[in-house]
Amino acid sequence: MSERTGLGIVEIAILEAVETSRYVKCANALARVEERIGLAPGYAYEVLVDLARPWSMPVNLVRGQGNFGSRGIDPAANFRYTEARIARAGRVALAAERGEIAPVPIGLINGNTYREGLRPPFRPGAIIDATREVIKRPDVPDRELAGIVGPPCFMTGCVVTGDFAALSAGRRTELRLQAKVSVNGQGKVVLENIAPNIGIDDVVRIIASRASARRWADDHPGLHHRIQLPLAGIQDETQANPFGRIVCTPALGTSPEQLRDLLLDVRGVYTAMPVTLRQPLAALIKHWVRANIHEDLPASLAALEQAQSGD
Amino acid sequence: VLAAAVLAAEGVSFLLVGSAALWLRGEIVTVGDADAVIEPGDHNIRRLREAFSGVAIGRLPSMASFLDESMVPVMTGYGKVDCLLERGRQDWDRLRRGAGFLPVADVAVLVASSADAWDLRRRFKERENE
Repeated sequence: MSERTGLGIVEIAILEAVETSRYVKCANALARVEERIGLAPGYAYEVLVDLARPWSMPVNLVRGQGNFGSRGIDPAANFRYTEARIARAGRVALAAERGEIAPVPIGLINGNTYREGLRPPFRPGAIIDATREVIKRPDVPDRELAGIVGPPCFMTGCVVTGDFAALSAGRRTELRLQAKVSVNGQGKVVLENIAPNIGIDDVVRIIASRASARRWADDHPGLHHRIQLPLAGIQDETQANPFGRIVCTPALGTSPEQLRDLLLDVRGVYTAMPVTLRQPLAALIKHWVRANIHEDLPASLAALEQAQSGD
Repeated sequence: VLAAAVLAAEGVSFLLVGSAALWLRGEIVTVGDADAVIEPGDHNIRRLREAFSGVAIGRLPSMASFLDESMVPVMTGYGKVDCLLERGRQDWDRLRRGAGFLPVADVAVLVASSADAWDLRRRFKERENE
C-alpha cells in the first residue's frame, strides 16, 4: 500500500491506464494494466469497477460509462462493453503518487469494507478537517480528533450505529448498518438507503419469504406468528433511488407503523459489519501528518477537497 | 435463536451449541450467531440446504460445501448460522447423548448439555488464541 495515498499497486496501475480526458474502453485500459503489473484483466476489472461505482467508496477515483452493474444481483457488463476515464480525485491521487503534490489520505477515507475488508470509510470532509487540525495543532487531544472525524460513513447513506469509541481506539468492533425505514403518505412502509453489504434483491427476497406461509405453520403456530411479516405486497423501486428503495404494503388489519417496527428487526433491513483500524484513529492521522509535514499538505488537501466537490 | 427454531421446524436434525445453547440453558451470556452441530448423513444435509434456500442472504453454499467442509456459515433473514459439520461427523453420537430438547417459540430445539457447550466453547477459544 502506498504511503502517499493509501492506494494499492493495482489501483495505481488502473488510474494510470485510464488517465485520459475522454473515456477509453475498459478492455484497452486493462490490457495496459496487465502489461504493467502482469495482472489478468478479469482480476483488475473487479478493482476498476469498485473504483467507479458511486456506492462503493466516498472518493471515486474513476468515472465509468456503460453498465457498471447495480446494487442488486446485476454485475457490471463485460469489460469489452464498458468505458472509463480518470476522475478528478484520481488525478489528485496520481499527482500525489508522483510527488507533484503532497500526499493525500485517500486510503484512510475510502477504507476497504467494499471488498470485505475491515477498515470502514469516513466522510472525506471530516478526515480532511481532522488532518488540517493536526497540522495546525499537532497536540490536539485524540478525543477531539475522533469527534471531528465522527462515525464511519457509508455511501448508501444507511444509518450507522455501534461502539465508535472502540473503533476510534483501534479495537475490533461490529457496526450495525440499517436501512432508513419510514411510513409514506399512502400508508406504505418505505425502505431506503440499504446497507452496502447486502444486495437489494436479497432484502426483497428475505422480506417476501418472511411474508409467505410456511409448510410447518399449522404445526408451529407460535413460531410462525413470531416470524411472519404482515405484508400484502412488496415492490423494488430502486430505479428511483440508486441506493435502494423498497416499498412494503401492510396486510389488512396491520398499521404501517406496526409493519415498520417489525421490519426493523429483520436481518437484511439491518446488517452487521465487523470493523477495525490498524491503530487508533487519532494516531493514524497524527503519524500520517508527522511523516509528511515537510510537504505542502494544506495544498494537497485543498486539491482533494476541490476534486471531490467539482467532479 | 429464531434461526435454529426455523431449522428445527423445517425438520433438520442438529443440536445447538455455543452461546445460544448456553443462553437457552439459563447461563448469562451474550448470544451471538447460532452454532449448530449438524447430524451427518446425505439426507439431513440435503434437508439443511433446502431449509436455507428460501432464507439465505447472498449465494447459498453448494451441496459439496456442506458435505466436505468442516464449517459452513450461512447468513439468513433470521441471523447467522454456523453449521458445524466436521464436529457433527466426529462427535454427533456423544453430543446427542447429553443433549435435550428445549422450546424456542413452540418448536422443540435440540440443545447440547451445558458441560458439552462450555467444553466446545473453551476448545474453540483456545484454538482462536493460538
